Amino acid sequence: MSFSLVALQLINGVEYGLLLFLVASGLTLVFGVLGVLNFAHGSFYMLGAYLAWWLSERTGNLLLAILVGLPAMALIGLLVERLAIARLYLRDHLAQVLLTYGLVLLFNELQRALWGNDVHGVATPRSLSFTIPLGEAQTWPAWRAFTALCCIAVAIAMRQVILKTRFGMRVRAGASNAEMVEALGIDVRRVFSVVFSAGTALAGLAGMLAAPLTTVYPGMGESVLILSFVVVVIGGIGSIKGAFLGAMLVGIADTFGKVLLPGFASAIVYAVMAAVLLWRPRGLLGPAFEGR
Amino acid sequence: MRRRILLLAGALALGAVAFSGDRFWLQFLGKAMIGCILAMSLDLLVGFTGLVSLAHSAFFGLAAYALAGVTNRLGLVNPLLTFPVCLLAAAAAALIIGWLSLRATGVYFIMVTLAFTQMLFYLFNDSPALGGSDGLYVAERPVDSRAAAYVAIWAALVLAYLLLARILRAPYGRVLEGIRGNEQRMRSLGYPTRRYKLVAFVIAGALAGVAGYLDATLYGFVNPAQLGWRQSGLILVTVLLGGKGTLYGPALGALLLAFIEHYGERVTEHWNALIAALIIAVVLFLPRGLAGLVEGGRRA
Amino acid sequence: MPEPLLLTEALTRRFGALAAVDGVSLAFEEGRVHAVIGPNGAGKSTFLNLLSGELRATQGRVRFRGLDVTRATPDELSRLGIGRSYQTANLFPGLSCADCAWLAAQSRLPSSMRFLRPAKGYTEVGDRAARALQICGLSGRRRALAGQLSYGEQRQLEIAMMLATEPTLLLLDEPLAGLGHDEALRVVALLTEVARGRTVILVEHDMDAVFSISDTVTVLVDGRVLEKGSPGQVRSSAAVREAYLGDEIA
Repeated sequence: MSFSLVALQLINGVEYGLLLFLVASGLTLVFGVLGVLNFAHGSFYMLGAYLAWWLSERTGNLLLAILVGLPAMALIGLLVERLAIARLYLRDHLAQVLLTYGLVLLFNELQRALWGNDVHGVATPRSLSFTIPLGEAQTWPAWRAFTALCCIAVAIAMRQVILKTRFGMRVRAGASNAEMVEALGIDVRRVFSVVFSAGTALAGLAGMLAAPLTTVYPGMGESVLILSFVVVVIGGIGSIKGAFLGAMLVGIADTFGKVLLPGFASAIVYAVMAAVLLWRPRGLLGPAFEGR
Repeated sequence: MRRRILLLAGALALGAVAFSGDRFWLQFLGKAMIGCILAMSLDLLVGFTGLVSLAHSAFFGLAAYALAGVTNRLGLVNPLLTFPVCLLAAAAAALIIGWLSLRATGVYFIMVTLAFTQMLFYLFNDSPALGGSDGLYVAERPVDSRAAAYVAIWAALVLAYLLLARILRAPYGRVLEGIRGNEQRMRSLGYPTRRYKLVAFVIAGALAGVAGYLDATLYGFVNPAQLGWRQSGLILVTVLLGGKGTLYGPALGALLLAFIEHYGERVTEHWNALIAALIIAVVLFLPRGLAGLVEGGRRA
Repeated sequence: MPEPLLLTEALTRRFGALAAVDGVSLAFEEGRVHAVIGPNGAGKSTFLNLLSGELRATQGRVRFRGLDVTRATPDELSRLGIGRSYQTANLFPGLSCADCAWLAAQSRLPSSMRFLRPAKGYTEVGDRAARALQICGLSGRRRALAGQLSYGEQRQLEIAMMLATEPTLLLLDEPLAGLGHDEALRVVALLTEVARGRTVILVEHDMDAVFSISDTVTVLVDGRVLEKGSPGQVRSSAAVREAYLGDEIA
């Protein structure tokens, strides 16, 4: 494999990892702060993609669609949290797995009823439809670069919010001890709602950014969901840094795997996960104590 | 006592169907009973040990594929040969996956079992040599007649129930109960809990393998959809629906789900939404499942 | 002098920069009741957790009957004969007292990987469990669910479960915490009886109890040993009094 080919795959891997990070960060936040395992997270990715397609068809501009779609996703997240997720806070893992599993089935049916079984392509906006040359032979599509930049921007923004704002402090406090936080008079429910809708929006954004790259099709949330679970396991539940690390690892491993060993690409990622678990049963940066 | 009579009556009724010769019922109830075996074996993990595993369908599918493999490639048909091989395959897989997964606890464990089941799904789905997404036909089934397959399934169900009930009454079963209640305390009482969990995982996986073998026998066909997390999720649904930790409850849940799936398909195109609504309703409003209704307020 | 039953050598446990237990070297003789006291945050519970295997030491060693058990897991230590009771009730809330005691007693079978014979058939386990409940005065509450017991009764069950594992060394973590006067007296009487013929390491705040039943008292302050001696010695020590400034030492 030539150097520029390796470089390209590396870039692809990092970019894929960044998208995975977007999805996984939402998942790990929801789990770390709310203590809820959310299988429907992949459905939000799918909904985001479908929204992006549907809105861009109506408005003719994908960027506009994303701008409108994001608050819509946050609102959807808020509704889901208030109506369904909130009832899981005191329940056990089985209840969480099954309720969110039911939500997945529901969202799938919803998607099918609204938009049918077809696969849809999404056009990148004209302003971002060029390519960036890399070396002599390779080029990088501008939309991919844009996606990567968005993910990085979100990552930085998340870090700032969580580390530097008062709300972020409440999030971190809620993550370690929700009861205590409530006893201090801080409305934990509000924190939970915001975190959940933020997580939903993150997954939705990833779907919207990915829509032109992967096309929009039923069940597209599934593989992303499983991979983001792998990322969260590798990185450690509740750790955004871990999600970033894990996403990079998985993104690069998967991309190189698909190129080098096409038949076993999926298996490679799981092998990496198994290896990490053997070494660190709580993930690379997971909680030190026996938590949830 | 009343429960025992009801179970006995149910078992006899199911057994009597074998003589009916009715093609539809043999197939339908045969499939339903396979679901019962899956549900009860998963209950061992979920209801009695407190382990929510999403890998259960993996062992079901592996044994089914193993049958297709030894029959198609090695020409083995005799159930006396094929059954032990497939059972061993499922048990061995459960040992490996269990050992790796149990290094994780709590939610990590659930996620790891999910990842493993998906890995196996993709392995079978993406390999043309293993049948790909279309699946494989079993060249020659271990048992010819549908009635004979039915009887085998019925016998397996009864034996599985008796075996699990026995295990749960024994000292081993007490340990599982303790682990479910307070694993950390069990460790400080001197129990190496991971070992016990692994054994439960292997027993459950082996029984899932039995179900898979029987499924491949009944239909003569195996496909990757049997292996994925959706299938595992459905088995979990039957456990919750029937009432986890009761053993017979999940079997009831499996029967009920089989009926709902079958008739739901006829009623509406969006029957998946129906199942989804059912699942959500059960989680929110009937957490103890059917068994909870049957037992009334007796269970603490 | 006979070799101590339990020995710690420069035992240390750090949490980040903080050393909760800092270079503690202690010897605990067999057959005696050893109390470990100290002001809040002295590291007493951490020390006990290190001994019971629930926390791993950052540095140092623990020896039980000469055997290095520093890296031993809680279940290994239990099988060696080290029993532990907890400060907050650590029971099986959904099980009856009898079943809780049963599980504790069953742990002494060579192996619980028994699948065929019903558990009830193992009468020696039942006897052991019943005896433990009886010693702790819970025979009348056999069928009551552990989660529904009164606070004091839960303490008794804690001790019963520990006894049913037939330990030679008992690690007791504030067994009197939160108990009313009468209940505390009852538990102290129970502990006195239980301590007979066994070795006890007792972490407690209740000074009356400590001085009435202990043979030796060790004072921990900021993770280090300040003083160790007989109850009388410790009571009259100026250094100890100073460390407890503001805390009642009776």
